[in-house]
This record gives sequence, C-alpha cells and structure tokens, in this order.
Amino acid sequence: MSASPDFATAVRPSAGDGAGREPLLSVRGLRVSVADGTEVVHGVDLGVPRGSAAGLVGESGSGKTLTCRAVLGLLPAGVQVTGGQIAFDGAELTALPDAERARLRGTGIAAVFQDPASYLNPSITVGEQLAEVLRVKVGLGRRAARERAVELLHAMGLRRPEHVYTQYPFELSGGMLQRVLLAMAISADPELLIADEATTALDVTVQAEVLELLSELRRDRGLTLIVVSHDLAVVAQTCDTVHVFRDGAVVESGPTRRVLRAPRHPYTRQLIDAHERFGIDRVREQRRSPR
Amino acid sequence: MTALDLRDRAAPPSAAPASSRPGPAALLLRAAAALSRGLFIAVPVMLVSTFITFMLGGLTEQDPASVVLGDSATPADVQRMREAFGLDRPLLLRYVTWLWNALHGDLGASWFTKIPVAQSIAERLPVSLSVAAGALLIAVVLGGVFGTLAAVRQGGLLDRTVTVVTSVLATVPGFVAAVALITVFALIVPVLPAGGWAPPSAGLGTWASFLLLPSLALSLDAAADVARQLRTGLAGTLHENYIVGARMRGLPGRRVVLVHALRNGAGPAVAVLGMHVPRLIGGAVITETVFALPGIGELTKSAALSGDVPVVQGALLVTIAVVLVSSAIVNVLLVKLRPAARREL
Amino acid sequence: MKAITDALRTRAGAVAAIVLAAVLVLAVTGPFLAPYDALKNSADILQPPSAQHWFGTDYLGRDVLSRVLAGAPASVFTAFEAVAIGLVIGVVPGITSVYLGRAYEWITLRIMDGLIALPFLIFAIAVAALLGNAVHQAMVAVGILLAPSFYRITRAAALSHAGAQYVTAAQLFGASTWRVLRTHVWPKIVPTLVVTTANATASALLIVSSLTFLGIGVVPPEPTWGGIVAGDLGYLAQRPYGPVFPSLFIMATVGALNLLADAIRDAGGDRGRARTLMRGARRVRLT
Repeated sequence: MSASPDFATAVRPSAGDGAGREPLLSVRGLRVSVADGTEVVHGVDLGVPRGSAAGLVGESGSGKTLTCRAVLGLLPAGVQVTGGQIAFDGAELTALPDAERARLRGTGIAAVFQDPASYLNPSITVGEQLAEVLRVKVGLGRRAARERAVELLHAMGLRRPEHVYTQYPFELSGGMLQRVLLAMAISADPELLIADEATTALDVTVQAEVLELLSELRRDRGLTLIVVSHDLAVVAQTCDTVHVFRDGAVVESGPTRRVLRAPRHPYTRQLIDAHERFGIDRVREQRRSPR
Repeated sequence: MTALDLRDRAAPPSAAPASSRPGPAALLLRAAAALSRGLFIAVPVMLVSTFITFMLGGLTEQDPASVVLGDSATPADVQRMREAFGLDRPLLLRYVTWLWNALHGDLGASWFTKIPVAQSIAERLPVSLSVAAGALLIAVVLGGVFGTLAAVRQGGLLDRTVTVVTSVLATVPGFVAAVALITVFALIVPVLPAGGWAPPSAGLGTWASFLLLPSLALSLDAAADVARQLRTGLAGTLHENYIVGARMRGLPGRRVVLVHALRNGAGPAVAVLGMHVPRLIGGAVITETVFALPGIGELTKSAALSGDVPVVQGALLVTIAVVLVSSAIVNVLLVKLRPAARREL
Repeated sequence: MKAITDALRTRAGAVAAIVLAAVLVLAVTGPFLAPYDALKNSADILQPPSAQHWFGTDYLGRDVLSRVLAGAPASVFTAFEAVAIGLVIGVVPGITSVYLGRAYEWITLRIMDGLIALPFLIFAIAVAALLGNAVHQAMVAVGILLAPSFYRITRAAALSHAGAQYVTAAQLFGASTWRVLRTHVWPKIVPTLVVTTANATASALLIVSSLTFLGIGVVPPEPTWGGIVAGDLGYLAQRPYGPVFPSLFIMATVGALNLLADAIRDAGGDRGRARTLMRGARRVRLT
C-alpha cells in the first residue's frame, strides 16, 4: 500500500534520448491491481523504440513480469489493469476487444517465458504444436506448415530438426525447448518479442547461446526486443536501454551503458554494486591477486 | 511481411520430418495386441461369472415340468422331464456341456416355447445394443457439452447449476427418469411415442422416435457422471501454464479449450464413461420394461419370472460376454487416449 | 469416528443427518402415522391432493400418503438388509485377503472379479425370481452383488496400512495376526468403510426400488415405494404427477446418504482425483 518513496525521485531518460519516431510500444502510467484491490504496479512508464532492445531489471516481485503480462493481455485471474495506457504501433490495447488482442498475439506481440517445458502441452509433439501455430496464425496448409516448422527449428539452431519435430516436450532439454518456443514466437512474424526471464532456468552456456540467438533475430529481422531479467549481465549484454524496476514502479531508465557506468538512482547503484561484488569479473580479480 | 532469413548451417533440413514414430499399421497392430491381452485376462472372469450363472439354474427349485405343465405336474412327470432335459446329470458336467455348446452357438431351447434361445437372443440383442449405443452417444454429448461449459465458466451460474443438477440426477432411480420422460414428452407434450419399437427397416425417422426417449432415460446417470468428472478435470487443466502458452501464441480460445485443455483434462471423464458401458448394456432392463422394448433385458426378466431357466442362463451368458468385450475395447481406447499412458507405448 | 463427528458439524453433513434421521423415524413409525389404512379401497379414485388426502388417492381410492408411509419400512429396511449382507461378504475376504496367503488372495480376487462382471440389475432379478420371489432372497442377491465394492475398498485400505511401520512393530513384539488386525488395521479402515456403507445403502435403495417396481421381492398388496410407482403407471394420463410422491422420498433418502458420505469423506481429509474416481466405482448404480 505504501507508495514507493523512490517513485518520486525516479530518474527518466531526457527528451533527447531515443529516436524522434513514435515508439513501437508506449506504456504510460500503467497501474495493475490484484483481486483484493491492492495495487501492485504503480504507474509504470515505458517507451520502446522500433528495432531497439529494452531491458527490464529488478528483483522478483518488482512488477516487471506483470507489466509484460498486461501488455500481452494475459494477466492471471483476478488481476486487472486499473489505470494507464498501453499503445502498440499506435493502437491503444486496453480499448481493444479480447478477440482483437488474441489476434495481435503472435502476429504483433510475442513472448517466451521461463521454464519452457511448462508452456507446452505435454501430450502433443513440439513439432505439431509449432505447426499448429503456423496453420492457425499464418494460414499455411498442413504440409506447408510441417515443412516450415522444420525450417524454423533449424533456424533456431536445433540440430536434426526433423527428429526434434517428433519429440514430446518431456524428451527435450531446457535449452532445446526454449529454442522451440522461440520458433513458435517468431513464426507469425511479430514486431515485438518479449523474453521474460527466458534464460534464467538454463545452463550458463546454453543461456549465452539463446541470448546470442535473440540478438541475431533482432539484427536479421528488425525485431524489437524486451528482455526481462533479474540478472544485470543478461541485460547488459543484449539491450540498448534499461529500465530499473522496484516495488512496482520504474526508478531509473536510460541507455544501458550510461546507466551501468553512472547510475543516478540509489537503488540502481545498489544493484550494480551487488553485481560487481559477486560477479565473475571480481572473482577473477581476486584470483589474480591473492592476499 | 518479410520472411525469416535462414542461417546457412552445415546441413540444410530435409523437406518433411522423417518419422521416428510408428506408422498407422504398427499402431493398429499394437491396439489389436492390447485388445487380445484384455480379452485373455477376461477368460477366468468369464468362467467364474458363467459358472455362477449356470449355478443359478442348478440352485433353483424350478424344473421344466412345473414350468411347462404347471400345477398339474405329478412327481413322475417331474422326474421324466428332468431326465429328458438331462437335469439328473452332475452339475459340473452339465456346466461344461452347456458352455461347450454355447461356444458353438447352441444355447438350448426355452422350456416354454421350445424356441432356441440363441434365436430369441439374436432377435432381441440389436434392440438392446441400439438403445445402449444411443445412450452412450447422448451421455458423451450432454456430459461433454455441459462439463466443458461448466469448467470454462467456473464459479458462474451455469457451473453451479450443473453441479446441482448432476448431484440430483444421481439420486433419481432409473424407472423414475423413464416415467418422468414419458410423462413430459409423450403425455403432456405428445411428440414422442410412450413405448414400443420399430426396427430401422421401418424408416429411420420412426426408428429414431422410438429410440430417443429410452436412450435418454438410460443415459442420464452416465451423462451426469461424465459432466461432473469433465468439469473437475478441465477446471484443473485450464489453470496450467501450457494453456497460458497456447493463448500466448495467439490461438483462439475455442481451440485452446477443445484441442489443448480437453486432451489432458478429459482423462477421468473418459474413465468414468468406460465404467458406465457395462451398466448401459447390462442394466437396461428397467428402461426396456417401462418403454415396452423387445430387448434382451426384458427377455431375461420375463424368463426369470416364469422360471424358464435355459433362457435366463443363455441371455445372461450373452450379456456377460458383450459386457466383457465392450469393457476390453473401452480399456484399450482409454490407454490410447490417456497422454500419460502414451509415454509408456 | 472423529471424521464422522466432524462431518456432522458441517452444514451438508448436518442436513444429511437430519434427513436420514427423519427417514428412519418414518421407517419405524410410518405405518402407525398413516391417517388411513393403506390397503383400504374406497370410491374416491384418482383424486388430486387435497386437505383430506395430502397426496391424493390412487386408482383404487387408497390414500397415497398412507401408502407411502406404510411402504417406508419395506423399502428402507430391505435396503439395510442387503447392505449388511454385502458388508459381511465383502469386508471379511477384503481384509483377510491381505493376511491369509497368496492362494486365498488369488481365489477371492477372481471370485470378486467374476461377480463384478455380472450385469447387476438383471442378475439380481434373475436370482430373486428364480430362487423364490421373496424379499429375503432378493436382498441376498443384492447383497452378494454389492460385496465386491466392499471387498475392493477394504482390501485397498488394508493393503495401504498393512505395510505401516507400527504394524510391523506390533508383529515384531509378537502380536498375533488377529490382534494386529483388530487393534491397528481395523480402526484405520472404519472411516472409509463408513463412507462406502453410506454410498452402498444409497445404491441398495435405488436397486430395491427398481426391483419392487418390477414386482420382485414384494408381497402384494403390501405397498413399497417402487411398487407404488409401478401401480401409477397405468393411470399416468389421469394423474401424471402420481409418481412424484414416492419418488421424492426415494430421492431424498438417496441424496441424504450420498451427501453424508461426501461429508464424512471430506472431513476425513481424503482428497485427490483418485478418490473421486473411486467414488464412482463404489457407487454401483444402474437403471
């Protein structure tokens, strides 16, 4: 209930940052409340220019995931948007009927989440689920959908894509599943891809590969990215701008390099300090100069 | 829309996925094997139940003489008839002979009418089977529709109504349901006949009109159970992450429910439907009585009430056989449908 | 026992218990409470409900309320009789099958499987009719057919508790099998057994009313609830609401029994899909 004291002193990017064009996604004053009326997101402002990669950092429960879910229109039962606007490609999403928002998902906005296995139907092969998206959202016929699905799996870096096509989710590793989900996410050519803790549950090496894949997609396709993570390193690696979340509000926004090198908000400083103290660079330093 | 650039990797993919899953012929063979396994297990069960059935005839004080001749039968008559029907031989021998003959299609003849039992059964079995099939169909449709709707609109008025209605239906005896349906649809609003039977050869419409009310009456119990299990199963499934995943990919709501949720949430409902199948076949005697249908249940009842032992034994045998076979089929289907079982295939 | 008292404290359990108590009272005192002689014909045939005849009169001018009340003992107690028989025949093999050796276990399993395969209602009819069309034979038949449910439930309960460590401990201390059964296993089985009994009584009542509807197990002209409906059938056109009265009594009793069973089961903490499925198996219901 208590308004976050940091909210008043939140640091925003100055008007000069970012291109002069209309951002692809523009969130203004977003408020989200849970079933009993408690507000959990207190007026979030977020602007994502076309073709850029925006990072959302913060601890668990800081409101980053709920913001993304609100953009997608997939808030959990009982949770609602209670204020603010979400504009995507000029259209106000909160004013759209459900069917329209469903149509936008996949073709306009797509997402991948943590724990890829749980987001797949355990009793249908991953290939069929991918082909299903191609048939329903892209309008391909059965055979064309199957072929395209295999192509997509291959493009996502899966070796032996024809074999993966026939596997059930429980037969694939986390990294492979995340690639499958990415294939599904981009199959209908969306403009915005939200990756919410997409690499958190993966092994570090696989994590690096998937992040590399995201960057490639952005480069080759002009895909706009939103990367959500509690890990500063992930955001530092992939994003142009970073938005720091705390207790349901954005406390600092700006170009990644500037924010990380010269944070203006105390909380951001804390985050960076903690990362530096326990980050791998520090350990390497310590090893090099034993005391 | 620009197409996605393909990375140039070492080995480009082939056009269609090579199948590492067994083809349709292999699946059919596997199903046939499972079915034969199920039937094989049924053999000892069959033996026990048919023996009990036969023993029934042995225990009864009915004998062909009094059944045929009535009160005027003298002890000498009784003894003569018993010998004529081979009833003075040991029980076990008679059982084996009976079973052996039955496997060759000979179920003896009615003590009353002398008509071969197998013939009477053959005339009446289609009637009972069509009512049972109709009831199964109605149970699936009614139970499926209401169970799904109740789950999708959890907590709403429809959901609560469905819960109340299914609970009430569980308390309704079969004959009450049958009588109530007749009262409403044949008396108050006379659109359907109150009883009787016409074979399909008399016109499909007529046949259906005689079939509808009995099937409906027979189906209510199963429909209520299916609706309840489906509602529970689906309600749980609809909260799973993969449903969110499907919606996230922009799949329309109807597809999400019907293809994804139902596949995983329908398990208990299908299982409970399987448990009702024997009852639909073996328990329709009330329905047949109330609606005056010439079915196998009604045959058994009349024969039992008049003491016509061979008919009772034969009809029970056939009913048991049909129940066991249909149970085996249902079990095979269940295994094929249940996704968890698939992993073991 | 605690589960039962807990259940009685819930609203559903209390309602069910009250209804059942009322039915029991009726079953005992019904014939005495009846305003008219249930067997007495009169000239006022097929009358609708009125102040003198709360449920109206039937085709022989008999007061329907009196007939329903007079039929209460026959309908209710015969169901109890069948359940009692089923309980004994099912529970004893059920528990002992776990302790008396493999051969015994195999035999009882096969016999019970064979009984389950029998088409219930039609078999009950056949047995009742062929073995002398009297009430007790019919109840024995129903009881035998109810036994497999009791067998399965008690066997499952006994199996799950047989492996418990306190049982092993007791045996190590030298307790005889009988003592182990009586002191340790039996109290754990009782709650499940009570639930099954309630469900079985509900099923038995449905079956009994179906049998009496068909004229089996009745001694005419004594009224039974099922028999009253059967009698009304011929005069449905004049009195379409006739079957409602005895049916309501049947449904109320069955509903209360099921409700009570559910309340006890929930109070006992039994959750999970498996239990819900088992409930369907316990309720041997038919048409």
